This record gives sequence, C-alpha cells and structure tokens, in this order.
Amino acid sequence: MIKLLRSNIIDITGFAVVLALLWFITLGSGLKGSIEIPSSLLNLNTIFLSILIEAFPFVLIGVLIAGMIQIFVTEEHISRWIPKNKYMAIVMSCSVGALFPACECGIVPIIRRLVGKGVPVAAAIGFMLTGPLINPIVIASTYMAFGNDAKIAALRMGLGFGIALIVALIIGSLFKGTQFKKSVSIVSHSHSNNKKFLEKFWAMLQHSIDEFFDMAKYLVAGAFLAALVQTYMPARTLLEIGSGTAASLAVMMGLAYFLSLCSEADAFIGASFSSIFPQTSILGFLIFGPMIDLKNTLMMLSVFRMKFVMTVLAAVAGTVFITLMLLSSLL
Amino acid sequence: MTFHPQQAGRALILLGFSVLLYMMHTSGEILLFINPKYLLLSQAAAFLFMILFFIQITRVWTVKESHAHDGCSQAEDCCSHNHDHGDSPFSVKKAISYSIIVFPLLTGFMLPAKVLDSSIADKKGAMLSIAGSSKNGNKQSPEEGQSIPAEDQQSGEDYIPEDDTAIVTGYENQKTEAEYNQLMKQLEHGEIIQFNDSIYSSYYEEISSDINKFQGRKVSLNGFVYKEDSFSDNQLVVSRFLVTHCVADASIIGFLSEFPDAAKIEKDSWIKIEGIIENGTYMDTPIPLVKVTNWEEVSEPESPYLYPISIKRN
Repeated sequence: MIKLLRSNIIDITGFAVVLALLWFITLGSGLKGSIEIPSSLLNLNTIFLSILIEAFPFVLIGVLIAGMIQIFVTEEHISRWIPKNKYMAIVMSCSVGALFPACECGIVPIIRRLVGKGVPVAAAIGFMLTGPLINPIVIASTYMAFGNDAKIAALRMGLGFGIALIVALIIGSLFKGTQFKKSVSIVSHSHSNNKKFLEKFWAMLQHSIDEFFDMAKYLVAGAFLAALVQTYMPARTLLEIGSGTAASLAVMMGLAYFLSLCSEADAFIGASFSSIFPQTSILGFLIFGPMIDLKNTLMMLSVFRMKFVMTVLAAVAGTVFITLMLLSSLL
Repeated sequence: MTFHPQQAGRALILLGFSVLLYMMHTSGEILLFINPKYLLLSQAAAFLFMILFFIQITRVWTVKESHAHDGCSQAEDCCSHNHDHGDSPFSVKKAISYSIIVFPLLTGFMLPAKVLDSSIADKKGAMLSIAGSSKNGNKQSPEEGQSIPAEDQQSGEDYIPEDDTAIVTGYENQKTEAEYNQLMKQLEHGEIIQFNDSIYSSYYEEISSDINKFQGRKVSLNGFVYKEDSFSDNQLVVSRFLVTHCVADASIIGFLSEFPDAAKIEKDSWIKIEGIIENGTYMDTPIPLVKVTNWEEVSEPESPYLYPISIKRN
C-alpha cells in the first residue's frame, strides 16, 4: 500500500518538476532576443557555456567512477593494492595515472574517493597529475599539433611524468592524513558485502548525484572565470611581458592556468605560440595546464583544505618552472 | 511521508541541464558551442543527466517505514557523512552554491548563443597566432600542416562529401585518405586554390609553412573581417575560427589582405575574396599576404567555424 502510494508520489513529483521547468523555459525563451545585451556579454556567456558543455560528459563519467569506487571498492581492497612503501605507492599511482585516460574535469571526484578509501594523499596527487597529462589521446593530439614531430610529445610526457613524481614526493613529505576539509569527514562506509548488486548499483548512482552537486558549483565558477579571462584579457598584453626565457615561461604557464583548456585540445593552442616563444615556454604551457588549472583548483577546494590546495599548486608550479629552466639550455 | 525541497531542487537542476542540452541539440545551437565530432558525447551527457534525474526524484519523498529499502538512505545509522546528501538544513551558504549551479541554466535558456566575433579574435591575439603559424625557416618540420587531431580512425559514420553547405547535425570534418590527398593535390596544381571549409585549415597551414612556394598563386576564400590598429588603411584580415573541441579553445587563422576598399569594410562583416598570394610581414615575421583582385560581401555561413580535418583510414 505504502509502496503504491510512494510510486504515485514520485510520478506526481516528477510531473510537477517537469511543469515547473516548462514554465521556466517558456518564460526564458520569451525573453530571448527581447532585451538588448552587450555583445561582449554574449561572447562571455557563449564561451562559459561551451566550457561547461565540453566538461559535462567528463564530469559525469568522473562522478560515476567516483560513485563506483565509493560503493564497490573497500578499504581492504585499497590496502591490498597499494604498496606499503610510500615511495613505491607514489611511483605506482603515477604509473596508473599515466595508463588511465582521465580528463582534468573528472579527476577530482575520483581522487577524493580514493583518499577517502585510504589511498595516501601523496599517491592520489600523483595520480591526479599524470591522469590528464599522459594518455593516448593527448599524446596523439600533441604529436599532430606540432607537425607530426614526436619530440614535443615525448618531452611533454617524459618531463610531465618526472615532474609528477617529484611533486608527489614533496607532497608526501609535507602532508599526512587525508587533508580533507573539516566539513568533509572521513568515510567509513560499512557496506556489508551481502547486499544485492542492484542495491549497490542504486546506491552508487545516488552517490554520483551527490558528488555531482558537490563539484558542480566549483566547476561552474571555474568555467565562468576562465571565460571571463578569455573574453576580457588580451593575450597580447600577456605576451608583451614575456620576453626572455624565464618571463615567457611564466607567462605561458599563467596562460595555461587561466585558460583552463582541456588537455586534449590545448596542444593546438600551444602550437600556435611556437614561433613567438622558445620551446621551453611551450612545454611549460603543455605540462602545467593539464596538471592543474583554475577550474581544477576550485574543484580541489571543494574537497581539500585551502592550505593543502595552495601547497599543491605552488609545488606543481615551482617544480615545472625549475625543471624547465634547468633543462632550457639542453632543449 | 516527508517532502524534501532541496532534493526536489536538485531534481529540477538535473532535469534542467538535460533539457538545456537536448534543446541545444534539436535547435542546432550546439554547433555554436562545440566541434560536431563531440556531439555524441554531449548527447550522452544529456542522457546521463536524465537518468540521474529519474534517480533523484525517488529521493524527493521519503517514507519513514520504508527507510531500509535502498542502499544508503539510512545514512544516520550506516554511514557517517563525508559529503552533502542534500538533507542538511538550508543555509545562506547553500543558497549561494545552488544559485551558482542554477546560473548557467538561466543564461543558457535566456540568452542566445553568439558566434564569436573579432573582439574575441583580438583578445586571443589574432595576429600573433597568424604570425605564429607561419614557419619560414624556423625549426618546425617542413611537412607541418596536416592538423589531423587524434582519434582519426574513430566513428565510422558516413561523411557528407560536399559538406560546405550541408551542415545541420552529424557533420564531421572527416575525409578518407584518398579524398584528402586529392584535395591536397589541388592545392599543389589547381589553377585557383579554393578554400572550402573542410580543407581550409590544412591549406592555410601548408601555405603559411612555405610562403615562397605558393607565391603568385591565385586563391579564393571567405571569412569575417578582423582589423587591428597597426594595420594600414588598405589592410584587413579575412579570418576564421578553428574549433578543436569547444569554442573556448578556438584559435584564429586568416590571411592578411590588401586592397583599396579595405578601409570601408566594417569589421565582423563576412566577405569572399579572390587574390594573389605574396610575401608579407607582420612585426618582422614573414606571413602570407593576399593582394585582392575581387571581393564581395557574403552572408555569414551556416557553419561559421572550421574544424580540424580527420582522416578516415579504411
């Protein structure tokens, strides 16, 4: 009886929700075109929405994987898989990240679940850094963008992997524990294994929804800021600052950070700068961008403490910068 | 039985995103945001949002008695929270975060999508990237140019052979290797180099990489007008946006063109030009320059953006 009522209630609710949305859409499309909006704002809005549309599939995949980890992977699994030795754990997570074709939009929910399940935070960071940077699609697009020249693609992957290892080691020596924000307490789901698969699957989907809402506001804010930069900040001013290897490297890294491009697409943008800037700066753009960017930083702040996120950001930026400066004479 | 307004709000948001994506797809507006190659991916996102919506509406009402029915809704007993399940009391902080999430829905439904214009080209440093892609005598490899992005072989969908006009949905800039070679041959030997949308970027890069080789050749191409203060009166750039993934990563390609009428053409208007390729320079960088012999104003094409070509190997 109650079940019957309940299912009807769901129908009614769904119906009400649809009605509310329809009303809203008619209201919205009535307004469309009737008000004058400056074209720069429309440009801003178009870029903003396009970043979101581009990111949504990957974020949804990310939260589904996170939900899967949450429900199907237990702490015992993790402690069995991850090497006891801290250094081995980092090397392993960087390698797994390199094999795992992740995208920076979807990776934060995944590492959050992994840390929640007991993966050392340094290893998770290693995974986060190599996941979006090193994967077949990025390798292929970098190779193409630089005129079928394997050198840049190889350097991007090789140096990227080394830098990820160094950063993970730095983080490992500085931080212990999960580094979650206070509001994010540590999970200890005691999902008994005798639950039916279907129930687990249902719970996984619900978790994914919660995860999506945790991330969405940061994703939206990050996309908006990146769009703002693209619409109002002339690239030329940035480039005028960047004469000399160090300055141009800093400029290109800054550009990568604020543009928050997808690692699949950034090689083409990077290539368009290749005759203005030395190769070192282009590599900075290509390596730093996928590791951490504005959108990503905000999403990390939804999970981790401010101090931790800032340290990771500084460690990545510093390591990329120093490594490339040291190697710039060799390149 | 209790009603959870926050859960209902979340359901509404999920449905909203699904409907927004769906509407963009049906109206074709989606092509002003992303490369058609990724249409399927974003349709999948719309579908996933819809599924999540159906799951979410089951949480809008809860019945005390049936509490044990699903995996984790008995949160109080079985799991300590590590994230917001949407049950905690409503606060100012939450109001802010929900309004942030709703914001793109509002702008998405209420504001029309816009084709990027020359002001964006300016912010993206149009001339710098044009000068950047010309590679006279620098270290780039000579056969630079087939800007063929990754996943060449993916999706065996049918392509539309003469695709310059037929662009609604399902358009992908995909060619077989034979077609591509055929088109590249025309670049080498054709009387006039015709810039069709599908091959535009490949021709552009080929010419930029070796201006001398193409000097004196006749070209015919279209684009929107972009101008910079440093140009002289008879100069403008006939430019196009090349979209790899979404318009946020659009880069500018185009030809600096010279003709007396240039001064009176408004920026952002679409023109079609015919002319002869010559050596030009921009801030000491050699770039191709088109001496225009003929030009006419045209309307904005149905598909204003260019996409990197994919070669289908089969």
